[in-house]
Amino acid sequence: MTMLTYLSKRISTLILSLWFISICLFYLQKNVAGDIVLLQSKARSNGSFYIHPLAAEKVYGAEAVRLNLHKPLFYFSLKSALFPDTFYRIQYPEAIKIQKKLLFQTGNWSLVQSYYQSLSSFYEKVSQLENKRLSIFWKERLQKIAYLDDLTAINANLSVSKEMERPFDAEIRKVKGIINQLSKCSPSFFNFFPVPKWYGFENQYHEWFVKIISGDFGTSTRDGRLVKDKLKEAIPWTLWVNGLAIGFAYLFSFPMGILMALMPKSIWTKWLNHFLLALYALPAFWIGSLLLFQATLPGGGFSFFSISGWTFYQQNGGFVNQPVPFLLQLSLPVFCMTYGLAAYLTAYMQSSFQKVLKEPYILYARIKGISQFRLYFRHVLPNALLPQIVFIAGVIPALITGSVVIEVIFNIPGMGRLLIDSILSQDWSTVYTFVLLVSCLTALGLIVSDILLVISDPRIRFSSTKNEGS
Amino acid sequence: MKIRYFFYISLFLAVFGDWIANEKPFFCRYQGKDYFPLFEAPFVKLGWKQWPEAFQMGSWIELQFERKVNTLIPYSPETIDRNNLGLKSPFDIQNTNSLWSRHWMGTDRIGRDVLSGWIRGFRMAASVGFLSVVIAGILGIFLGGLAGYYGNDRFRLSLWKAVILFILIIGMFFWISLGFESNWESKPVIYWLLIWVLLGICYVFLPSLGRPRMAIPIDGFIGLLIQAIDAIPALFFLLALLPLAKNPDLLDIVLLIAIIRWTGIARLVRAAFFKIRDLEYIQAARLLNINHFNICWKHILPNVMGSLWIIFAYSFAGAILLEAYLGYLGIGMPSGTISWGSQMQQVRETPSAWWLAVFPGAAIFMSLFSLQRMGELLETKSL
Repeated sequence: MTMLTYLSKRISTLILSLWFISICLFYLQKNVAGDIVLLQSKARSNGSFYIHPLAAEKVYGAEAVRLNLHKPLFYFSLKSALFPDTFYRIQYPEAIKIQKKLLFQTGNWSLVQSYYQSLSSFYEKVSQLENKRLSIFWKERLQKIAYLDDLTAINANLSVSKEMERPFDAEIRKVKGIINQLSKCSPSFFNFFPVPKWYGFENQYHEWFVKIISGDFGTSTRDGRLVKDKLKEAIPWTLWVNGLAIGFAYLFSFPMGILMALMPKSIWTKWLNHFLLALYALPAFWIGSLLLFQATLPGGGFSFFSISGWTFYQQNGGFVNQPVPFLLQLSLPVFCMTYGLAAYLTAYMQSSFQKVLKEPYILYARIKGISQFRLYFRHVLPNALLPQIVFIAGVIPALITGSVVIEVIFNIPGMGRLLIDSILSQDWSTVYTFVLLVSCLTALGLIVSDILLVISDPRIRFSSTKNEGS
Repeated sequence: MKIRYFFYISLFLAVFGDWIANEKPFFCRYQGKDYFPLFEAPFVKLGWKQWPEAFQMGSWIELQFERKVNTLIPYSPETIDRNNLGLKSPFDIQNTNSLWSRHWMGTDRIGRDVLSGWIRGFRMAASVGFLSVVIAGILGIFLGGLAGYYGNDRFRLSLWKAVILFILIIGMFFWISLGFESNWESKPVIYWLLIWVLLGICYVFLPSLGRPRMAIPIDGFIGLLIQAIDAIPALFFLLALLPLAKNPDLLDIVLLIAIIRWTGIARLVRAAFFKIRDLEYIQAARLLNINHFNICWKHILPNVMGSLWIIFAYSFAGAILLEAYLGYLGIGMPSGTISWGSQMQQVRETPSAWWLAVFPGAAIFMSLFSLQRMGELLETKSL
C-alpha cells in the first residue's frame, strides 16, 4: 500500500468518526439541555413564567419556531405506524407525553388529535368567560384533565354539578363523545410496525452541523454572547499553559533521559527512576492546591503570583508588553502541568535510548572504532528521538484533561475553566460545541502523529489491518 | 519497598472502614440497659429490633451514656460535630472531651471529621476503580477480541443472511426503544419484542443461504468506535455525558468511566488476537473443529491475560484519578458523597485549609503510585 492510499484511508476514517461524534453530541445536546424554550421564556419574563397546558401549544410553538426547533431532528426517522408523519410538529413536552400515552392505548391518531383540539377549544371558551368563579374552576379542572391519560378518569373529571356544566354543555358533550369513541378503540398489532421516513435536509441536525462547519458556533443560551468570542478569549491561555508545559518537559527530559541511559548501572539512575515514577503518580491538582496554599500565605515567597492577576494580563496585552511578570505569573500552573509529563518523557527517552543501544548496528559501529561522541549523537540519538516527537500528539488529550483542573485551581480564564463554567451554568450549546471542537483538534493531533510516524519510519507497514494497536 | 502492604492496608480500610470510624459505639449502657449499636444498626434498620427514641435522633456524639466503648475513631464520615464547626486544623485547640475524640486530621467547614471521611475514601476509590475496570475489561475483551479475531475479512455471511441480520438488529433497537417510550405498558410492543427475540434465536440455526461471500468489516466498525471515543479527552467525555443522568449516582459514574476506559483494553486485546489468530496452533485447533468461541476463550485469551493485568492496573489508577477530578470539581458526584476528591473540593474556596488538601491528596498519590508501580513490576515480569 502506498503512502497516499494509507493517508486517504486514515483521513476518511477520521472524518467518519468525527461525524459520528457530532451526531452523538447533537443527540446529547437535545437530551441534556432541558427545555430551552421554557428556559428562554423564563429568562425573558424574569423567572415567573406560567402557561396553561392547553394554551401552551400556541405560545410555546411560536417560541419554538423562533428558535428553529419546529423541524424534524434528523435526516430520517424510524417510527411505528402508530404515529403520524407530522408528530414532530407538536412542541409542548407535556402535550407530547399525554398524546403519546393516549396513542399507545387507543392507536387512533385522528381521534386523539380531535380530543386534544376539542379540549383546547373548550379552554378558549372558558377563558373568554366573564364569570370569574366559574372560569377559574374550569381552568383548574381542565389543567387536571390535560395531564390525565386514563379515559375513565377524564370522563369522571368532566362531570360536575349541573350548574357548573350548563354554560359549556356543548363542549362537554363533544369531549365526552370523543372519549366514548376512544375507549372503544384499541391498537392493532400491525400498528406498531416500524415505518422509515425520510425528511431531507430540512432538519435540525443538518442546520446545526452546517453552521459549525462554516464557523458559526452560535450564541450562548445563558448570556447571549457569541460562542466564538468566548473561545477566542480562552484558547490563547490554554495554548500558553500547554505549550510551555510541553516545551519545558522536553527540555528537561531529553538530556536527563540520555544521561540516565548512558549510565544504567549507577545508583543515581536507580533512585532517579523510582523518583520519576513517584513524580508521575503525583496528581497535579494536589500539588496545584498545595502551591496555591503557599502562594496565599503572606510571606510564602510567591509574591510574583496573584490569583486574580489574570484579568490584568488579559487587558494589558500579556506577553508582548510585560514578558517577565507574565511568565512568572504562568510559572505555577505550568510547573504543575510540566513535572508529570517530564517524568514520563524522561523514562520513555531513557528506555528508547537503551533500546537503540542494543541494536546490532550500534555494535557494528563500535567495532568499526567510531568515537563515543559520534556514536551517541550521530547514530543513537536520531533514532531514539523519533518516537519521542511522534509521542507528543498522543499526549495532547491527557494534557488537555489535566489542564482543565489546573485552570480551575489557578483561576486561569482558559478553555478548561470555560467548559466548567458553562457546565455549571447549564449552557449546553457552548459545552457541546466546545467538546466537538476539542475532539476535532485532538483527532487532528493523533493523525498528524501517525503521519509523522509513517514518514519518519519507512519500516512501518501501511496495511491498516496489520497496524497493530496504534 | 513493598507496595503490597499498601494494598493490604487499603483493602482492609475499604472493607472494615465502617467499623474503624463510626459514631455508633461498639457497646454502650443507656438508662440501665446494654446495647451494641454498631452491630445492631442493620437489624434496627430492618425493623427486627427496637431502639430508644434518643438513638433514632441521629446525633450519637451528643448523647450521654453511662458507659460506652467507642470505635477507634468515634465519628462517621457524615457526622457533624457542632462543637468543632468551620475548618478546625489538626493542631488547633479543639473543643472535644478527650484525646480519643480528637479530630486527628481536623474538620471541614460543616464540622465533619476528615479522618473518617478519609477512611471512607478508600472504599469509594476501591469500588469505583474495581467496578469500572471489571466493566471496561468485559467490554474491551469482548469487542477487542471480536475485532482482532475476525478482522475485516474473516466474518463472512451470504448476502441473504447479512440482510436478515441487519433487519434483526435494527428491529431489536426499534422495539426496545419503543418499549421504553411506552413504559412497557403497551402489550403489542412486548409481543413484537418477543417475536423478534424468537426470530433472533431462529437466525442462529438458519442454514447459510448460498455461499458466504459478504465480509462484514467488524474490525472497521469497532475501530471507528474506538477512534471516536479516543478523540475526546477523558474528562471532557465524562463531563459531557454526566448531565444525561438527571441525578447521577455512583454507578452512573462507574459506567461512564468504564465507557471511557474500555478502548485502551480493546486496542491491546485486538492487537494480540490479531497476532495469535494466525499462529499454527490456532490453525490446528480449527482443523480439530473446535468452535470459534472456545478458540478465543481457551486458546487465545489466556495468552493475552499477562499483558492485560498490566493495563488493568493502569486503568484502575486512571479511574481513581478521574473520580478524584470529578469530586474535586464538584460536578456530577451525588451530593453528600464523601471521597478524597470531594474533601479536597473545599480547598478550592479556602486554600488555607491545608489539611483538607494534604491528607486526601496523599492517599490519592499513594494509590496511584502503588498501582503504577504494580503495573511496572508486572511489565518487567512479563518481559
